[in-house]
Amino acid sequence: MAVVRRRWFQTPWEFKESVLFTAAAVVAGFLIELATSGSGLALPRLPVNAIALSLFATLVLSIGLGFRNTPVVEWFGGIPLGLSLIFAIALLSLIGGIVPQGAVSSGSLAAQSGINHIFSSWPFALTIILFLANLGLSLSWKLVPFKMKNIQFILFHAGFWIALSCGIFGSSDLQRLIVPIEEGKASNLGYTMESDTPQHLPFSVFLHDFSLEEYPPQLLLYDPHSDKLLMNKSQAIIEVRKGATASWMGLEVLVLDYIPFALPGQKGIPQPADRSTGIPYAKIRISAGSVQRETWISTGSPVLKPDAAALGNLFLILVPGTPKSFRSAVTVQDNQSHEVMANLEVNKPVTFMDWKLYQMGYDEKAGRWSKLSLVEVIRDPWLPAVYLGFFMIMAGNILFFWNGIKRTESAS
Amino acid sequence: MIMNFNTAALLAIACWTIGALLSLFARRTPSLKIPAFVISFSGALVMAAFIAFYWSLLDRPPLRTLGETRLWYAALIPLVGFLVEYRWKIEWLKFYCMGLATFFLVINMLHPEVFDKTLMPALQSPWFIPHVIVYLVGYVLLAASSVTALHNVYMQVRHKGNDAGEAVSHYLALLGFVLLSFGLIFGALWAKEAWGHYWTWDPKETWAFLSWLAYLGYLHAFRYKIDSSKLQWYLALAFVVLLVCWFGVNYLPSAQNSVHTYTQS
Ligand code: HEM
Repeated sequence: MAVVRRRWFQTPWEFKESVLFTAAAVVAGFLIELATSGSGLALPRLPVNAIALSLFATLVLSIGLGFRNTPVVEWFGGIPLGLSLIFAIALLSLIGGIVPQGAVSSGSLAAQSGINHIFSSWPFALTIILFLANLGLSLSWKLVPFKMKNIQFILFHAGFWIALSCGIFGSSDLQRLIVPIEEGKASNLGYTMESDTPQHLPFSVFLHDFSLEEYPPQLLLYDPHSDKLLMNKSQAIIEVRKGATASWMGLEVLVLDYIPFALPGQKGIPQPADRSTGIPYAKIRISAGSVQRETWISTGSPVLKPDAAALGNLFLILVPGTPKSFRSAVTVQDNQSHEVMANLEVNKPVTFMDWKLYQMGYDEKAGRWSKLSLVEVIRDPWLPAVYLGFFMIMAGNILFFWNGIKRTESAS
Repeated sequence: MIMNFNTAALLAIACWTIGALLSLFARRTPSLKIPAFVISFSGALVMAAFIAFYWSLLDRPPLRTLGETRLWYAALIPLVGFLVEYRWKIEWLKFYCMGLATFFLVINMLHPEVFDKTLMPALQSPWFIPHVIVYLVGYVLLAASSVTALHNVYMQVRHKGNDAGEAVSHYLALLGFVLLSFGLIFGALWAKEAWGHYWTWDPKETWAFLSWLAYLGYLHAFRYKIDSSKLQWYLALAFVVLLVCWFGVNYLPSAQNSVHTYTQS
């Protein structure tokens, strides 16, 4: 292929100009960030952001359609600039993927240059705006005149345009608040991660009950000198149940009995108890060579000491299982007499008016005995638009997959 | 558990070794072709059976730890090799694929994992399996694309024409990109249900986005006037980004407060 050397800025513009332009935008972004001591940029909220986005979209579309044969506009909506911007976004994301975000104090260089809040920084914002303009121009040319064969292109590019622009312009309207509630009480105060001053919610949440279910407790051998847990021979976590066995070097353990909820009884024999007070007990037989011994061990609780079995310098201990599920039984209510009773659980949020309620956490020190539930409440008015974009991309993907395979067949 | 895994892994590796040797002999003796295929294929079947067995033993899908995902790669990567041979009559890819699968199994044998049935509440979701499987298959295809591209680069260095190889690396990348896109969006939809927001620039998300951008860049460069033989280098290297995303993220400074790195054994 004969390469004709094109001089800088000689039309048609291509990669050189695109890279230069993109680099200039990124550098300008970092300069603004430095000049403003890394304050990032604050987006306006509804309805201003929606108006701004509509104006921007209209502007891009009208420039695309009105000046489609102007070389600069053609370049602005072309793949070379698109590629350069994709790489700029990748580069900025790379920074965001390596430098811990939001971690350092505000005086440091990382904070001043914006690299510790890269996704709300000026260089990122400028790159995204240019990217949306570039993508929007290329889209305008495939939208008008509309042809069925462009549908895959339109779904991909319009879907991404919508998801990206609405996700970013709408981020200022996203409300995420954490509502701590104690059992038997109601709260309408939500906290953000950043501030200690609570905000009043338009509804209140009453917590009937918080409950947590654990996996069965685990049998472990603990070495207090090295503060280490010794792995058994089979490299398996030993979940305690009747008949379970475990072996360490020269040591065999058999679980003779297991009571998930019990309290200490007479002569050291635990008695089954209610699940709200009882703790797991296991009766184990330890065999070391010809010596055998039987004893009860337990996990303990905030009010009960754990029972361990001493074995020379080591201890055989029972450790509470990790949480399997936890849920809050709540009633949500606003002052217009809307009321919903629901169980909140991880992965099972509940919708109330235009809010979504999530089971977030609990008092981890108290574990199963926690009387406190942390509920996160979230409102995101832009979500439907972002999802529309997602579904368009997925539809484009299906076509891409299908056409990719079809084309392969005709190629071979 | 370890016993069972080692037996299954050695059996699979034996199948792939014998199958690969027979395929080489089959160049002279075509009648060996079918036994070679059957034996190589059995290696993947052994792994699939082991995954099914392990799944039932764990009472949860074995997709939680890196070691567990390697089991899936070991089962799936050889299949891509066989598919490419069947579809495009390109034989060499399957050798690389079986080699890669062996490599994964050897890692698992050297680092036996803790057998742990527990699954944290955030992972107990109908999204868990589709999200991870779609990514797995995507990674498998892109790994194969990358290997093919590397082979293409080697052919270029030796000045051999190789259009078919370039078509293969391209279509594997294309299919891989489709699956990455689905994986990314499934992940976002799941995150909304589990954590309240579809995108938080968590390090894992950021790297998944980066990997996706790398292949997006490739597809557009391919569409533009860029000579596809020059893009083979790019495709070969793009997989490095995926590798960082897959397990490198755990070691990055940014990941210290990540919510979804793989469980370390
Ligand atoms: C930076 C802005 C972008 C520009 C200027 C751009 C432009 C283009 C152009 C001109 C084509 C060729 C279309 C054809 O020949 O019919 C194309 C193809 C494509 N674009 Fe984009 N695009 C951009 C961003 C994106 C994004 C963000 C996505 C993903 C959501 C995407 C996905 C695709 C796909 C899947 C193809 C088909 C590739 C193929 O057929 O091999 N593009 N793009």
